[in-house]
Amino acid sequence: MPLKTVASLDVQRLEILSPDGTADEALMPKVDKDLLLKMYRLMSQIRAFDERAIMLQRQGRLGTYPMITGEEATQCVPPLCLKPADWCVPTYRGGGVYFARGMRMRHALLYWAGDDRGTHFPEGNNDMIFSIPVGTHLTQVAGLAWGEKLKKKGGVALTYCGDGTSSKGDLHEALTFAGQFKLPAICIIENNGWAISVPRRRQAASETLAQKAWGYGVRGLQVDGNDCLAVYKAVSEAVARARKGEGPTLIECETYRMSHHTTADDATRYRDAKEVEAWKKRDPISRMRKFLEKRRLWDDKKEKALAAETQKWIEGEIKAYEETPAPNPLNMFADNYAHAPWSLIEQRAELEEVLKFKGGAKILMELPPTEGRFP
Amino acid sequence: MSPKTMAKPAKKTAKPTQPAAPRVLNLVQAVNEALDVAMGADERVMVLGEDVGRNGGVFRATEGLWKKYGDARVVDTPLAEIGILGSSIGLAIDGMRPVAEIQFDGFLPSVFDQVVCHLGRIRSRSRGKLSVPLVLRAPHGGLIHAPEHHSESPEAYFCHTPGIKVVIPSTPYDAKGLLLAAIEDPDPVMFFEPKLLYRAATGEVPAGRYTVEIGKARVVQEGKDLTLITWGAMTVTCQKAAEKLASEDGASIEILDLRTLSPLDLEAILASVGKTGRCVIAHEAPNTGSWAAELSALIAERGLLRLLAPVRRVGGWDIRMPLFRLEQYYIPDADRVVMAARKALRF
Repeated sequence: MPLKTVASLDVQRLEILSPDGTADEALMPKVDKDLLLKMYRLMSQIRAFDERAIMLQRQGRLGTYPMITGEEATQCVPPLCLKPADWCVPTYRGGGVYFARGMRMRHALLYWAGDDRGTHFPEGNNDMIFSIPVGTHLTQVAGLAWGEKLKKKGGVALTYCGDGTSSKGDLHEALTFAGQFKLPAICIIENNGWAISVPRRRQAASETLAQKAWGYGVRGLQVDGNDCLAVYKAVSEAVARARKGEGPTLIECETYRMSHHTTADDATRYRDAKEVEAWKKRDPISRMRKFLEKRRLWDDKKEKALAAETQKWIEGEIKAYEETPAPNPLNMFADNYAHAPWSLIEQRAELEEVLKFKGGAKILMELPPTEGRFP
Repeated sequence: MSPKTMAKPAKKTAKPTQPAAPRVLNLVQAVNEALDVAMGADERVMVLGEDVGRNGGVFRATEGLWKKYGDARVVDTPLAEIGILGSSIGLAIDGMRPVAEIQFDGFLPSVFDQVVCHLGRIRSRSRGKLSVPLVLRAPHGGLIHAPEHHSESPEAYFCHTPGIKVVIPSTPYDAKGLLLAAIEDPDPVMFFEPKLLYRAATGEVPAGRYTVEIGKARVVQEGKDLTLITWGAMTVTCQKAAEKLASEDGASIEILDLRTLSPLDLEAILASVGKTGRCVIAHEAPNTGSWAAELSALIAERGLLRLLAPVRRVGGWDIRMPLFRLEQYYIPDADRVVMAARKALRF
């Protein structure tokens, strides 16, 4: 008997905005002027923030910091497709996502300065702290989406993972659940080309990462991740489908990590500078600026005003971050349990003894007030 | 066909000779040199993990190996820890000698199914026919101001698991000798490397091959009043504490660096505690259910009548490792070791 084709893959790639700022009008998503300007503002501001954060780290004013530059469209646009009550779970390289969700960047700075008080999200938002061991959040997000499905209020869960993380079993299990239970979930693979020193082509032998979706009965597509309009169209459609009960979508956003993995990395050890140069031409921000200028929505004067406003905002966030008093060491015992067991009560008292041993009897009075719930 | 006959023939390993003249290396250079020596001597030895190839490892432990031994033996794997350990188990059963790297201690829990259910059981489940002679390397411990999940001390989980050996050096000499011993060991070895000491610990290291026997502790300094039992970076903290106890209390402190956590050097432990009668165990992990708890139980079971004071444990608190602004209040410092030692000395 002749072999029959029982399934076939048709992996599509969405691009709307070309690097010279021309948009394919036939594919344009429904976006008003304010939304277009908001996308541009968010991307510009987070890049300026990123540059300052790297400087702070180099000056010894911040700990290890993961760069965002180059990935602004993939990060800042998808949250604009969500409601605050929808779940949003980025990766550790998710500064742009959190910023677009309304997080104050003073908290992001605190987190990367090693202060647990940095995991502070806007009230009313369903944001979750990212996972540093990569990919472990993906099955949890399936659970978040599952809960939203059970509540029947149209809530969805959006999450991210990197091209590296797409190699982990976690994505396999998360997609298995999402497909099987037809969950209102959207997973963006933020394919920035590099998992520290390992290029995308060494992660998977498949032509695209988007096609992984087909193995699980999940809708999948690839998007130019440096094209805000394409990212917006793909994610907003996926969110709409999820809300209507039409199931999950896996979106591979192809973008590029313009900088090192983190400030602790040196990409020049393993990456060809020519590759970085080539990607500069596909920059998401300058592309959007050209588009806005063509539509007479943007000009040099507005750019200058935005730059000045951004600098002021960044200075304010850095000031607020640096003026945050050092944490009280006793804080670490708070919020480990709803009700702390005897062992923690005893150990916290022991830490008080240690502090007194180091700084004398007065030390406990001199420490900043404790924060968090204990016992 | 036995796995041995399936393997590529090993190059003849040179018989142990007198070590060549020592040079001063740091701990990560010693690890690197051990890998180089092992790979040079035995074609079955291969290194695999995330960023271990072209980048030379995020701590540079595998620096230069990719260039020297090539893609097939120094492998940048996809980002998949279960894949790294699971395939290493398969490679080891098939006769290779994989040295797998998990990039950070906080990424180890994802390989747990392979560790607990397979790594240490394959020899006994195959009734001795198969073995898993692999080494799983991972950085260990905190105090380098690293991001979350990069400062963990998960040794107790591994020590609790039968069938595997657990090693943690605190000097460059021991790092090289123990890693070479681990690679040559017929059973799986979890090899922790204290990341605080990667560059901070320097010492004389002989060139070429030598081994430090797995299962033997090291007496860092002799003393008669109290034994500090420790491992990893805490060894250095205990040395500082011992100096303070000597100068301020006139106490004579013996320090035992376990070097191998499983199997324990019971003889050395009982000999030292039997001599001093007082013991403090210092480590970075939370005390409850820790390897210090096992040591404390062993000493109580086998050395109770020699004790002059209860055994004390100084460890992390029973909470998650905080972000780094507070890590120095979580991981015991010399003051906390001194406080515990004084309680034992004055009991």
